[in-house]
Amino acid sequence: MIELKNVTRRFGQTVAVDHIDLTVETGEVCVLVGSSGCGKSTTLRMINRLLPASSGEILVDGEDVTGMDLQRLRLNMGYAIQGTGLFPHWSVARNIALVPRLLKWPKERIDARVTELLQMLEMDPASFADKYPQQLSGGQAQRVGVARALAADPNILLMDEPFGALDAITRENLQLEMLRLQRQLKKTTVFVTHDIDEALRLATRIAVMDQGRIVQHDTPENILRRPASDFVENLVGKQDRGLKLMALRPVRDLMTPHDKPRPAEPGADGLKEDDSLRLALSVMLWQDLRQVAVFDHQGNETGVLLRERLIEGGV
Amino acid sequence: MPSLDEPPNRVITVLGLLALVLVWVLDLGTVQPNRIVPGTGYGLFAAAGWLGAVTVSAGLCVLMALAVLPLRRRYTLLGILLTLALAALPDLLVIFTSAHLPKDSPYARTAVGAGFWSLLFLLVLMLIEVVGRLRIGRRGQLGILVVILAGWALLIRQGGLDSLSLMREFSNRPDQFLQALWAHLALALGAVAISFVLAFALVLKMMRSEAWRRPVFGVVSFLQTIPSLALFGLLIAPLSALTAAFPLLQSLGIRGIGWAPALLALIAYSLLPMVRNTFVALTEVPEAVIDAGRGMGMTERQLFLQARLPLAIPVIIEGVRITAIQAMGLTAVAALIGAGGFGTFIFQGLGQAAMDLVMLGALPTIGLAIAADVVLSTLANALQPRPAAALPQ
Ligand SMILES: Nc1ncnc2c1ncn2[C@@H]1O[C@H](COP(=O)(O)OP(=O)(O)OP(=O)(O)O)[C@@H](O)[C@H]1O
Ligand SMILES: [Mg+2]
Repeated sequence: MIELKNVTRRFGQTVAVDHIDLTVETGEVCVLVGSSGCGKSTTLRMINRLLPASSGEILVDGEDVTGMDLQRLRLNMGYAIQGTGLFPHWSVARNIALVPRLLKWPKERIDARVTELLQMLEMDPASFADKYPQQLSGGQAQRVGVARALAADPNILLMDEPFGALDAITRENLQLEMLRLQRQLKKTTVFVTHDIDEALRLATRIAVMDQGRIVQHDTPENILRRPASDFVENLVGKQDRGLKLMALRPVRDLMTPHDKPRPAEPGADGLKEDDSLRLALSVMLWQDLRQVAVFDHQGNETGVLLRERLIEGGV
Repeated sequence: MPSLDEPPNRVITVLGLLALVLVWVLDLGTVQPNRIVPGTGYGLFAAAGWLGAVTVSAGLCVLMALAVLPLRRRYTLLGILLTLALAALPDLLVIFTSAHLPKDSPYARTAVGAGFWSLLFLLVLMLIEVVGRLRIGRRGQLGILVVILAGWALLIRQGGLDSLSLMREFSNRPDQFLQALWAHLALALGAVAISFVLAFALVLKMMRSEAWRRPVFGVVSFLQTIPSLALFGLLIAPLSALTAAFPLLQSLGIRGIGWAPALLALIAYSLLPMVRNTFVALTEVPEAVIDAGRGMGMTERQLFLQARLPLAIPVIIEGVRITAIQAMGLTAVAALIGAGGFGTFIFQGLGQAAMDLVMLGALPTIGLAIAADVVLSTLANALQPRPAAALPQ
């Protein structure tokens, strides 16, 4: 658990972070979102003490960070940033091994962990371990950056616009990857972005920042339904909210289940239980369907989604 | 079917033609009855006889032909031929001396003429072109150099060049030559080493406190702008005053003239390239890399030793290389204030209008500069922390 209590950070005259309170529960993904210069990175960097706070208190699992040994604090926090910050003279494997080596793990354990992480991020260890950052695409480099942050299995992940420099498709792939990993690993995560869609997709709770303050801290759904101010309302997109809300919920929520799963007929197409309602709507509109079949991971048909149901209950 | 031939090479053709013209127009060598009297010049035909003249001309024609004929491996052939030609080139001088040096006159000597120098120079240019085309690496280049120098050393060993006035100047003073070599090396390398340590300490200070950056760069850049002779001269007065005040210094060999002011001046000149390269190298590591490392728990010391330093080393050595080449040359000038080294021969030779004595000082100076270049660039390559494929282009 991370707690910020009345934390302020000044740079000379400018107040970058202005008396904020924020609690990130264990296992939760807290996304800091807001326009450029509103103090997101400053907030994040105070947690691992890359910047000292001017005043206020920051607690990690109840312990004040200012009293903790700097290395011990940071070694237990994965840190991934925009532009990766990979060491250019180290291979992918050596980069991922950064923290395990600082922790003096035995070599076999490090090697096994590097292989495991590369596989987890869907990069073939045989072809990527010995590559150098210069030889990777932006998306691959960013994956390595995430793998490096996860390497020593830290309790906390700090991520500062890790996908900021990527094209839309690669970015979406990595976001889905993050979701998948997070379901598995349940790390306490603070994630900075200025992309509201990224925030809605990844967050368990979103902290909207403006001029150094947190103007709203709530679940994605509540941020969409009950924006606390015009600023938040504009940020999430006034008119667009219906679709964004639908994007948050899976098809599973509204489908009419069959009594028991039926094996699918070959070639039948439809939706997966995890697909969003927004995608379901799009499919129905495009194919002009009144209902769509829904399949589980094994490919069995588990129910159908009706158009009326979707329109009535989607938002 | 498309041709696999490499396209003809114009550079080598032009250089070859130029060499052919110059070697026929200019004197290959001169014979002097003694050191002072101006000598008689001999052209290619007169100097080397028809056999030598034909060999040289035919050789150049073959080179040009290889450069233009439709061939698949033209550069390999050219490279081999040029290396052999350069290794055997001094044989021309042997033929020349054996034909024209008066046997009965002990003071008579031969000197290398403009024709020979031109031929040497143009062949080297051709070889450089070939080496570039073949993308021969550092080791290959070194190998070629060794073959050529071995050819020359063999000839010198056998005494074939003893009557060359350059060799005469050398064999008149082998002890002085060795002494000059050591003095030259000690001064230049000493200055490089001391300025390296100084520069490194300064840069560490500059990295910690920004307030030091501007003044340090200001001073070292200013030092670099003083003409070398003036700097050597300027140091005479204060050092004389110092040693007059502290006789102890005198007993250490520190005087207004001699090695002390020379060393000081050389260090002053070496500081700018050293400080600039070291500073740039250590600070240009991307901030994101340092930030990520620090954020993941590396100490400042680990960051310095594992990231900044290894990434900086090739650039730092590049600074040492520039400095060393510059110091080798400047040390020659330092002879003017009695610092010793190869400059002594140069200025003596100038004073006596004995060009070959000048050469005896100048050629080894150039040689030392080239050696410094070769050694340090090889070292920089060897210490490159990442493979070539991983370098930003
Ligand atoms: N090292 C610094 N020195 C002075 N001012 C700073 C420093 N770092 C940040 N600031 C200021 O603090 C404010 C907040 O900066 P911060 O980097 O936290 O913004 P951000 O929300 O991360 O913005 P972005 O989305 O552009 O990354 C800005 O006004 C910035 O100019
Ligand atoms: Mg930022």
